[in-house]
Amino acid sequence: MNLENISLSLQKGKAKDVKVLVQEALDNNVTPKTILNEGLIKGMGIIGTKFKNNEVFVPEVLVAARAMNAGLEILRPVLVQEGVKPIGKALICTVQGDLHDIGKNLVKIMLEGQGFDCVDLGVDVSADTIVSAIKEHNPNVLCLSALLTTTMDYQKIIIEAIEEAGLRDKVKILVGGAPVTDSFAQKIGADGYSADAASASELAVKIIAG
Amino acid sequence: MFDKITSYKPDIDKTFKMLDKTYQDAINHKGGNVTFRALPPSDYDFYSKFDLTKYNYETDLEKYAQDYCSLLKKAYELRKNVDDNMIPTVSPMLGIGDYSAFVTGEIDFRPDTSWSSPSLKSVEDWKKLPPIGTAKWYKKFLEIEEYLLQISAESGIPFMRGFFSPLDLAGTLRGDGIYYDFYDSPEELHELLNYCADATIMFAEDIYSLAEKYLGNTKYGMYFCKGMINMSEDIACMISGDLYREFALPHTQKVIDYFGVGHMHTHSRSMYLVKEVCSLKNVANLWLPTDPNAPRPIDHIDELVKDANGVCLAIDCDNFSEIENNIEKLKKGNFSITLAVKNIEEAIQYTDRFKKIL
Repeated sequence: MNLENISLSLQKGKAKDVKVLVQEALDNNVTPKTILNEGLIKGMGIIGTKFKNNEVFVPEVLVAARAMNAGLEILRPVLVQEGVKPIGKALICTVQGDLHDIGKNLVKIMLEGQGFDCVDLGVDVSADTIVSAIKEHNPNVLCLSALLTTTMDYQKIIIEAIEEAGLRDKVKILVGGAPVTDSFAQKIGADGYSADAASASELAVKIIAG
Repeated sequence: MFDKITSYKPDIDKTFKMLDKTYQDAINHKGGNVTFRALPPSDYDFYSKFDLTKYNYETDLEKYAQDYCSLLKKAYELRKNVDDNMIPTVSPMLGIGDYSAFVTGEIDFRPDTSWSSPSLKSVEDWKKLPPIGTAKWYKKFLEIEEYLLQISAESGIPFMRGFFSPLDLAGTLRGDGIYYDFYDSPEELHELLNYCADATIMFAEDIYSLAEKYLGNTKYGMYFCKGMINMSEDIACMISGDLYREFALPHTQKVIDYFGVGHMHTHSRSMYLVKEVCSLKNVANLWLPTDPNAPRPIDHIDELVKDANGVCLAIDCDNFSEIENNIEKLKKGNFSITLAVKNIEEAIQYTDRFKKIL
């Protein structure tokens, strides 16, 4: 069974083909973990790298992610059955005052592509909601997105609220969005910054590995 | 309220002549025009004093227009001795929401901008929309325009209005679904984009006709309306050059062809698309502001001169040395360079320095 075909079909956004190929791989006794890592995650990783290098753009990432999810639909029950767990849990949102969601969605896609379980809180999310969600979901990573110079400062307010709630040591905080920079991330006390979605997911993997 | 437009520049005729020559040369793919725009805080900080949530848009339109024009007037008065390429204009300021709400939907006002929510669940849902021109914000916008014109027309200050390109309009109406439409429903997406082009043409026609009624007899009042359309290509920075050529370009061209000349806008994030946007016929100007964490146009002048093929690029830089160091390269194309300055004195000082290095 050639898992490369799963990766290639995923990269082309061929959701139906990915579904069929994943089922074929399972039928051929390929372990679900191998299909996940060498088919789906590998394909999504290549898309992420191409996205970072401006070789593919948002539509291509979204159709690839849809193809990955089609494969995961087949794979997920078997993964659960075999006790294969996500590599971590990530909480993600766009901060209060900001309604942009495409950047946040792309980071979510890339995190899932790396094997994270993602809880998406949506857009325009307040510090209180985030503090409650950390208590409820106990994530390893919190990803905060802001597209506007007028909303990026809210990332700081969220970090302060998490500190006040005594949860700062429980979660690593990554910030991003068009106007955000590495120095801004350091200034507000975030654990990391990434310029693009693929780098964000790579950083999340690195950061939870310690 | 406003004084005559001539009082807001040292020599307004000279400024318009300079723009005329730049745009004419741009259309003819001939370079050699570099102009300068100083950007003192007074050019933009009045926006923070203008709270869009303060107005009831059913009952307060006159107050809205008075407040807005009063802030504009103060900003233009402050910079009246700055002999740069900036032309005073009057343009409704309602945030982002009205750029698509003229087709359908409501506007969610915030203090400094506004939003509208995607309304097309399927790429073909535009067929269910009421006829163009009947939406609440279509009519409301024209009412607001009329209040602004009643205050400003006597001064002869040009009226100006920018529009979403068909791709931007379709993207806002459709939301993220549009990114799947490129691959799932290409023909239907072309139909939606064509509808967006038609809607933009009709809306711009109505806006321009109203402006003509008030400004038709003035020397410069229709400068940014007659034979011209000003459009953004913001969503383009999410897609490849191939998709832009296939989907966006024909519909944007349709709108430009209807009016005559296109003044376009995109971001430095999509610098790879400058070549595509400037390949549109009869584009005179492309405003290309620098995005944070993205390539800076001033660092890529050689490539931009080539890609723009004469189209005037409105770019910004961080300091005057960047202009001095690049001036010979800049002269190979057409450029309008914006430099943020601390105050009006600095604006005058740098405008004079710019004249000396030309």
